[in-house]
Amino acid sequence: MAKILGIDLGTTFSAMATIEGGQPKIIESAEGERTTPSVVAQSKNGERLAGTLARRQSITNPENTIYSVKRLIGRKFSDPIVQKDKSLLSYEIKEGANGGVEIKMGDRWYKPQEISAMVLQKLKADAEAKLGEKITDAVITCPAYFDDSQRKATKDAGEIAGFNVKRVINEPTAAALAYGLDKNKDHEIVVYDFGGGTFDISVLYVSPDTIEVKGTGGDTHLGGDDFDQKIMAWVIENFKRDEAIDLHKDPLALQRIKEASEKAKKELSSTMQVEINLPFITSGASGPKHLSYSLNRSKLEELVDDYIKESIDLTKKTIKECGLKVSDIEEIVLVGGQTRMPKIQEEVKKLFGKEPSKEINPDEVVSIGAAIQGGILSGDMKDVLLLDVTPLSLGIETLGGVNTVLIPKNSTVPVTKGQTFSTAAENQPSVEIHVLQGERPMSGDNKSLGRFILDGIPPAPRGIPQVEVTFDIDANGILNVTAKDKATGKEQSIHIEGSSGLSKEEIEKLKQEAELHKEEDEKKKENIEIKNNAESLLYTTEKTLKDAGEKVPSDLKTKIEDKAKELKEALQKDDFNEIKTKTEELSQSLQEVGTHLYQQQKSEEEKKPESEKSDEETKKDKEDEDKEDKEDKEEKDAKDADYEEK
Amino acid sequence: MTDIKKQKELEKLKKEKDEYLKGWQRERADFINYKKTEKERFKEVVRFSNERIVKSLIAILDGFDLAIESFLKEGKDKKENDNYLKGIYLIKSQLQDILEKEGVDEIKVKIGEKLNPAFHEVVAMAEDEKFDPDTIIKILEKGYILNDKVIRPCRVILAKENK
Repeated sequence: MAKILGIDLGTTFSAMATIEGGQPKIIESAEGERTTPSVVAQSKNGERLAGTLARRQSITNPENTIYSVKRLIGRKFSDPIVQKDKSLLSYEIKEGANGGVEIKMGDRWYKPQEISAMVLQKLKADAEAKLGEKITDAVITCPAYFDDSQRKATKDAGEIAGFNVKRVINEPTAAALAYGLDKNKDHEIVVYDFGGGTFDISVLYVSPDTIEVKGTGGDTHLGGDDFDQKIMAWVIENFKRDEAIDLHKDPLALQRIKEASEKAKKELSSTMQVEINLPFITSGASGPKHLSYSLNRSKLEELVDDYIKESIDLTKKTIKECGLKVSDIEEIVLVGGQTRMPKIQEEVKKLFGKEPSKEINPDEVVSIGAAIQGGILSGDMKDVLLLDVTPLSLGIETLGGVNTVLIPKNSTVPVTKGQTFSTAAENQPSVEIHVLQGERPMSGDNKSLGRFILDGIPPAPRGIPQVEVTFDIDANGILNVTAKDKATGKEQSIHIEGSSGLSKEEIEKLKQEAELHKEEDEKKKENIEIKNNAESLLYTTEKTLKDAGEKVPSDLKTKIEDKAKELKEALQKDDFNEIKTKTEELSQSLQEVGTHLYQQQKSEEEKKPESEKSDEETKKDKEDEDKEDKEDKEEKDAKDADYEEK
Repeated sequence: MTDIKKQKELEKLKKEKDEYLKGWQRERADFINYKKTEKERFKEVVRFSNERIVKSLIAILDGFDLAIESFLKEGKDKKENDNYLKGIYLIKSQLQDILEKEGVDEIKVKIGEKLNPAFHEVVAMAEDEKFDPDTIIKILEKGYILNDKVIRPCRVILAKENK
């Protein structure tokens, strides 16, 4: 089946995605970028350019470089918005035959949809090149406030570009789709879209069979670019104050400051302070001048405070206009690169009193939603929608009350995972399998789903029996846990239905608890590990001394026994630092035994030829080796489990 | 009557079976194809994983260029400065070597060349009688290519039409 392309046709940038292997995926442009500038140009030698290339030559050719055409599409020339924007555009526009807008590029007049079509054509060609197949079907997004005429024009643009436009959907709806709407109940959501050049706020009403736009608001001339401008102005002003040189007139300096400002803004989303360092920015009477300022997050927040306040005020206003209260809103979705700014996330959270959805790349979320809509239309998403994920990790309780995870959270079901465990005591006749659900490392802090006992394990030293535990979740979310003793083939199992039957709130609560207790949990787990290591070393010590018998010199034996006694005492006191030190000391002393035994063996071997070594001895050696292998494996398994948890 | 019912039931089941089989086959095929493209993508990722660090190193290279240029303009009269300049050249070439080994190529641009937006970005326009309109009169920042991808276009000043 042919793929459907999901396209976010933006004012400044466009992005596209499709469904691959049941998952939405962004398609890169021919230039290797995840977004494409919505710019078209006719160069002076008559060549038509679209995207990045058009933008690179825009300064030399401003009257034939068409950008922001989305502000004009489907509008009448007499529209006050068109009249207002007219003065800001570097290209010429006029009233067309039917009252619409016409744009001059080269020596021809084009309709806005024809210009948009050129952007779409570039996307189509790039997508076909990347995917290696012909693409005809597309889902295109438009702002929620677009009227019929603007939607029709958007659709026309797609058709002109050679697409079969399956649907034109609202940008906020696409964003909500990307996050997977909960269609099972009626509720209101807000989409807060802070892009490069525009700020849009939309209130959606979601019910089982419809998504309705209740209201829209925003500012068509407020965006992330304004933030960059603020930083640039701050840098230039500072430099003017310090060096009495105005950098406004120096094109290279301006270009460098612009780039550095944008970079600083982005970096301040993850760090508290950045250095804006531009050596040799210009030269004055006394030689070269350097620019170096440090900008911290709070200064940036102060610079753009008005913009953020405005966006919050507009959000409140739009919600009020819909006849709703802020508390009526159940979900908030963040769209647009500027929403990466922590201050914006914080203000939105403060306004609504709840965490907004922001996990999907905000530059790509709309095109991803469009691709999902395409996938639903073509049936590509049908199966995927049925596939569930386990909301919490599933595991079993192991030595010391540790929760060993077998199926980590967010695994797509159906899924099967297995791991081999062993016994903790000598001649242990049975093992108890305690099935746990949750993210906490200690079993007691998690939800117990059930437990069963596998008995009939033949008597054997600890660590020898191999019990294979398998977790299987079928497509219906039913968990089946099986434990099997590899030696006897005996097995026991348990069915747990509705293991994911927790409500959304319960799952959220458990996850939050895990986050909250992360540090203390880690400490606890570390302590258990220290204790387990100590106990296992004590066991090895006893066994080694017993096996080696007379071969260990008595002074060494006494030393080891003393150390072991000290460790036992430390264990009783539950002093973890001491247990750790004593474990290390004992381990070192124990190594001396090994060294001693090898030396002894070597000198004996030198005395008698190989053939005289008794069969019994070889056999015993072999057994020891096997045992060590098993222990290694067990340790490895435990480590694997640790790794999965992270 | 029951026969007809059974027949209908059978047809329904057959239809369902076909649907499921098709769905399963498609899913398998999709998965295999996904794995293939993912493999390709991974190669890409490996190729461009150093793009970010290379970009930041290029900014340092720019710094050297600017330093040398500024030095040649203002400090060249003093003979004793020659060795300092040589040292700076050497550090710059160390950095260049590293970048070249990572697959970075400088975009070669000649003054007087026609604009090609695939490699050049116009930062400003200026009048210059010596040059034809739309030709490059000054290179402000060098451009670089990493494994066939333009990671930064060459930033240039273009000749304006003489009036």
